[in-house]
Amino acid sequence: MNFTITIDGHNVDVHSGMSVLDAARKIGIDIPTLCYLEKCGPINSCLVCLVKLNGKLVPACGTKVQPGMAVESETPEVHDARRTALELIISDHVGDCLAPCHRLCPLDLNVPLMLRHVTSGRLDQAIVTVQTALPMPRILGRLCHHPCEQGCRRGAWDKPLAIRDTERMVADTNAASPAPRVPQPKPASGKSVAIIGAGPTGLAAAWFLALEGHSVTVFDRKPRPGGTLRAVDPNLLPPDVLEKELALFEQLGIRFEPNAEIGQNVGLESIESQFAAVLIATGQPDDQEQPLSGVPTSGGSIEIDLETFQTKRPRVFAAGSAVRPVRHLVKALSEGKAVAHCISLTLDGRPARRPPKPFSSVIGRLDRAELEVFVRSASAHNRQTETNKQTDSAHKNFAIEAGRCLHCDCRAAGNCDLQRYAEIYNANAGRFKGNRRPFEQQWRPGGIIFEPGKCILCGICVKLAELGGEPLGLAFVGRGFNVRLAVPFGHPVDEGLQKVGAECVAQCPTGALSTV
Amino acid sequence: MSHASIAIVPAAAEPTAGTVDLTAVDRAIAQFGTKPEALIPILQALQDHYGYLPQEALLHLCDKTQIKPAAITGVASFYDIFRHRPVGKYMIRLCRGTACHVSGADRVDEALRRELHIPPGDDTDPTKQFTIEAVACLGCCTLAPVVRISQTTFGHVAPEKVPRIIHEFLANVSASSELEKSTEKPTEKRPHIAEIRVGLGSCCMAKGSGQLYHALEDTVRRNRLPVIVKRVGCVGMCHRTPLVEITGASKNNTVYAGLTPALAPDALQRHFKPRGLLPSIARAWTSMANAILADRVPSEQIEACSLNRADREVSVFLDRQVHIATEHFGKLDPLDLDEYIEHDGFAALAKCLGVPAPIQTGTSKGHGIAQEKAGDHETAAHTTASHTRLAPEEIINQIAQAGLRGRGGAGFPTGQKWRAVRDQAAEKKYVICNGDEGDPGAFMDRMLLESFPFRIIEGIAIAAIAVGAHEGVFYIRHEYPLAVRRVRAALSEMEQRGWIGKRLLGSNYELHLSVMEGAGAFVCGEETALIASIEGHRGMPRLRPPYPAESGLWNCPTLINNVETLAVVPWILRNGPDAFARIGTKTSKGTKVFALAGRVKRGGLIEVPMGTTIREIVEEMGGGAADGRRFKAVQIGGPSGGCVPARLADTPIDYESLQQVGAIMGSGGLVVLDDSTCMVDIARYFLRFTQEQSCGKCTFCRIGTRRMLEILDRICDGKGRLADLDELEHLARRVSQSSLCGLGKTAPNPVLSTLRYFRDEYEAHINGRCPAKKCVPLIHYVINDRCTGCTLCAQHCPVGAIPMTPYQRHKIDDAKCTRCDSCRQMCQYSAIDVL
Repeated sequence: MNFTITIDGHNVDVHSGMSVLDAARKIGIDIPTLCYLEKCGPINSCLVCLVKLNGKLVPACGTKVQPGMAVESETPEVHDARRTALELIISDHVGDCLAPCHRLCPLDLNVPLMLRHVTSGRLDQAIVTVQTALPMPRILGRLCHHPCEQGCRRGAWDKPLAIRDTERMVADTNAASPAPRVPQPKPASGKSVAIIGAGPTGLAAAWFLALEGHSVTVFDRKPRPGGTLRAVDPNLLPPDVLEKELALFEQLGIRFEPNAEIGQNVGLESIESQFAAVLIATGQPDDQEQPLSGVPTSGGSIEIDLETFQTKRPRVFAAGSAVRPVRHLVKALSEGKAVAHCISLTLDGRPARRPPKPFSSVIGRLDRAELEVFVRSASAHNRQTETNKQTDSAHKNFAIEAGRCLHCDCRAAGNCDLQRYAEIYNANAGRFKGNRRPFEQQWRPGGIIFEPGKCILCGICVKLAELGGEPLGLAFVGRGFNVRLAVPFGHPVDEGLQKVGAECVAQCPTGALSTV
Repeated sequence: MSHASIAIVPAAAEPTAGTVDLTAVDRAIAQFGTKPEALIPILQALQDHYGYLPQEALLHLCDKTQIKPAAITGVASFYDIFRHRPVGKYMIRLCRGTACHVSGADRVDEALRRELHIPPGDDTDPTKQFTIEAVACLGCCTLAPVVRISQTTFGHVAPEKVPRIIHEFLANVSASSELEKSTEKPTEKRPHIAEIRVGLGSCCMAKGSGQLYHALEDTVRRNRLPVIVKRVGCVGMCHRTPLVEITGASKNNTVYAGLTPALAPDALQRHFKPRGLLPSIARAWTSMANAILADRVPSEQIEACSLNRADREVSVFLDRQVHIATEHFGKLDPLDLDEYIEHDGFAALAKCLGVPAPIQTGTSKGHGIAQEKAGDHETAAHTTASHTRLAPEEIINQIAQAGLRGRGGAGFPTGQKWRAVRDQAAEKKYVICNGDEGDPGAFMDRMLLESFPFRIIEGIAIAAIAVGAHEGVFYIRHEYPLAVRRVRAALSEMEQRGWIGKRLLGSNYELHLSVMEGAGAFVCGEETALIASIEGHRGMPRLRPPYPAESGLWNCPTLINNVETLAVVPWILRNGPDAFARIGTKTSKGTKVFALAGRVKRGGLIEVPMGTTIREIVEEMGGGAADGRRFKAVQIGGPSGGCVPARLADTPIDYESLQQVGAIMGSGGLVVLDDSTCMVDIARYFLRFTQEQSCGKCTFCRIGTRRMLEILDRICDGKGRLADLDELEHLARRVSQSSLCGLGKTAPNPVLSTLRYFRDEYEAHINGRCPAKKCVPLIHYVINDRCTGCTLCAQHCPVGAIPMTPYQRHKIDDAKCTRCDSCRQMCQYSAIDVL
């Protein structure tokens, strides 16, 4: 029987037997699901697909359409319920989507990925990972205060990974190669941005705006760009490294206007009239310095909307120490990266918003036994230092060092429904604090990796094993909060999934079942 | 006594690999079959045999049946009764029901562990003699706190009584099993001038009515008195058990409460004077009387046990009651089929089948006191008057007209439910009696099954005819062994007469009834979980619709009714729907059975008209709070219900009014709370229960209730913040709106209702104070200057927190003190304060 229902006021033609989920998908509404797989039929365990029907919240996947139905899906109330479901699931999901080093990097460098490339000798890939995240990698590789290493789980075992040094090696190797890789900007957007101040924040913003295809001009009152970088001890930052890194900016088409003192020899109004957007990144003002006239300040610093970097003056943005003192280079660069994102959005005619921190579930502190699970598959070498070189080749030394990485990140990161919907629904991974189960890992070389703590008990694999006629299969063990997924009689996971293992790995909505 | 063996959990020797005798598995398979649905009964048999489920036995089961390893692993780990490690020789089941909780079950638990030297985190003592196990509710709420060791139930267990109880148990362990005796064939029918009725429900037996029954029987037999000692079901006045009623000896029946076996012969002498009896009996009597005189049993002691129905204490408890589900309460021998028939039993069923009402086949007709008329609601629909069949449609109409609503909790109109199943055009349909009464603090269904098994059978048979089902199942929780045995015994009695099976009550209607024992999972009271359990699966509910009426057991249309609902069906058909509808309120008709327990003076099992107010029940019938305390609130509806404060005590008890005040009818547990009860602790208690009983399927119930519990734990530990209250409330509403089944949807009710009425208590905890002085981390025990230095507290402190300082004021070491309250209980000078 064919009939029409409404979802959020839109008419949908349906036939009896269809679920509300089917109907929503038909008109392109992405109702989140974790435990639903057509082949398995509705399992109704995750309850993130809630919709509102007759004043009640019901799971869309298990509710059949009925004539006259009026479904609410994309409303604040329904979203809050879905978010709560996601947050509850995450509160009992023992896994880090992103490794602590990655989460702690203000520039969002995917450290474990870079290290995996280094381990396997693919430095050409490693530089791509680096350049995706950050500008001037050779400078950062020398000056960064590496918060990543403070968070490195290996540090709790022996010594943290030499992440910064490895990154420097990757960047130096690229620079020394016959044809160093430089990231490719997107096609020209036809829009221009003026940046006042060629210090770290201004430069980082220029870099990312240029990569977006915008035409960027950087004004600075000094004869040469670099700002505070020029004051760094040359032993820490050799001048030729600085010059070569700055040269790359011009290679991306970024123009420098030296000796430009705003309000003196260049007027803010005239810049405004020539550019679609202006970024003020003039650094921390000296006591005697006159604030930029016409840009409202408070207490000597420029006032901005913290979410958008927007000053009180239209099309004028401000970031970095001009707004608030920034102590660390990496933080200054990340401010530049963030403001570039906001300016790009504005130029696109979209509402500006700081780039959201990528969602990550967080295990928190590991106990010794849990740490051992991670350490088990990593190299047992000590941390490689300049004075403790195992081989004569720097590359090999760093490959050994990178082999020490525990790869705390999840294999499924980026390919995980839970992570994806948590991000979409802006879930707060720390909302529900409570006891967590231990982090465990079961695997035999070449087999399926099973991490029970990440299992959200959706039931898909249990059902697939049943449908696939697995002799052992998988079972839910226990009851209530203590329910766990297990192979009967304590057998390893590969024995439970002899036939449908690959399918289960592919359909697992999280990283509980994975392969190397 | 011939029943020498006792049905204790057999001694489970530590097995070494390969030494498990697997013939028990083969026997279980032979008995229950090899199909997947045989799994739970087989595992129950193995659990009974081994005391746990040895892995070898489970592997053998895999090999020999069609049951999949995943099913075995899943099911064996889902239900509470299945254990995976060998247990001690005797199981100690500690009731964690509501009434027990508010009466100090935690302290009893501590005392048991201390007494038996059970190491922390373990459940078995080092000598492997006792294993302690917490049970959701043993359903003996009026005797709280309750402990059951093997098959012996101990009531009113105070921590300081624990050593004596263990001792008593070990001393009597070889004695005959009362359970075994109480389900013997009905009392022999012989000429008699009087009946001595002894209440033999589970609660009564826990208070020693079994021994009393045997003592009375012995006296009668030895003296060949022309009286019969008769086992009857629950009398309802649990606060006065054991109860003995002597009928026929004089004009008015005499009731004794709290009679002991030692007093029994003397009590009989007062009623049955040898005068006028056969000389041999007279001789015997004299000799007995002499023996009694020699023993100098003071007659005042017996006098003190005598209960006068006219006493206000008694009349106020009994007079307000209307007995429909409990019709003839305290009069019928639960397993005497003839007697049931004599009291209009199966008349309603006969009407539905269009056959003559059965007549008794026993020999007691015309003897004794059978003339005592059966109830006050006689109508024309009686015995052999008319054989016209009441058509199924008409049955349903009458039930609908009576306005009967489901007594299991939600109050769905029964007639409508029946009609929905009737309207399904399926060849095969099922009826199920839901006897999985899992609410802690509720024991109505246990009492009905134990006391009126034939009535429930009649009810389910009528339901089956009405909907067109030919198969039915009683699903009864295993914590009610006596109920299971009595229903089984009643069914086998009917089978013997050929009244069930191919020819129901001699008609052409075929009806097969079976009993399935639950395996310890509260969630199986939810109908879809119950069906999953009967089918041999983990008791996981599924999304409704489709409702069981459409697709239930084995995907067939299935009617599921609660015990009490079925119990009133025969009455309605016999007395007419209008008689039923005349009782109660506009939307809630008839009566409701309640288990009145907790901190109340007179607890018991009562049946009152719908619309009776909470105040009438608690303050008048129940006599208010016990021990001179202040009645603070009443918890109605168990873990799905809520706490109604005393100031709303004028709320009439009907489905809608209760919902309005944040509670639900539930299955009828009514636990009275006084000012010594901490409302935050009560909320936590219920949430811990539902959290432990959650099946673990859906996110909101599995994780949501856990996170709520963690917030409550923080608050009770004094670590809560004001923001926690908002988060708790917000999460509670989400869990309630979004959970998959009724368990999760109602689990937040105790939290929401206490937040609504007792938010000040929550706030007090956040400020570091527990007003009821219950939450251990927030209280301290100190000794005031009334202390005389008698050392009693020091002697009884189980953790040595009070140094012995004779004739000096004692001091409590706060760091060592576990707040067990022993010192305060012991102190005779009120010298111990709780701050």
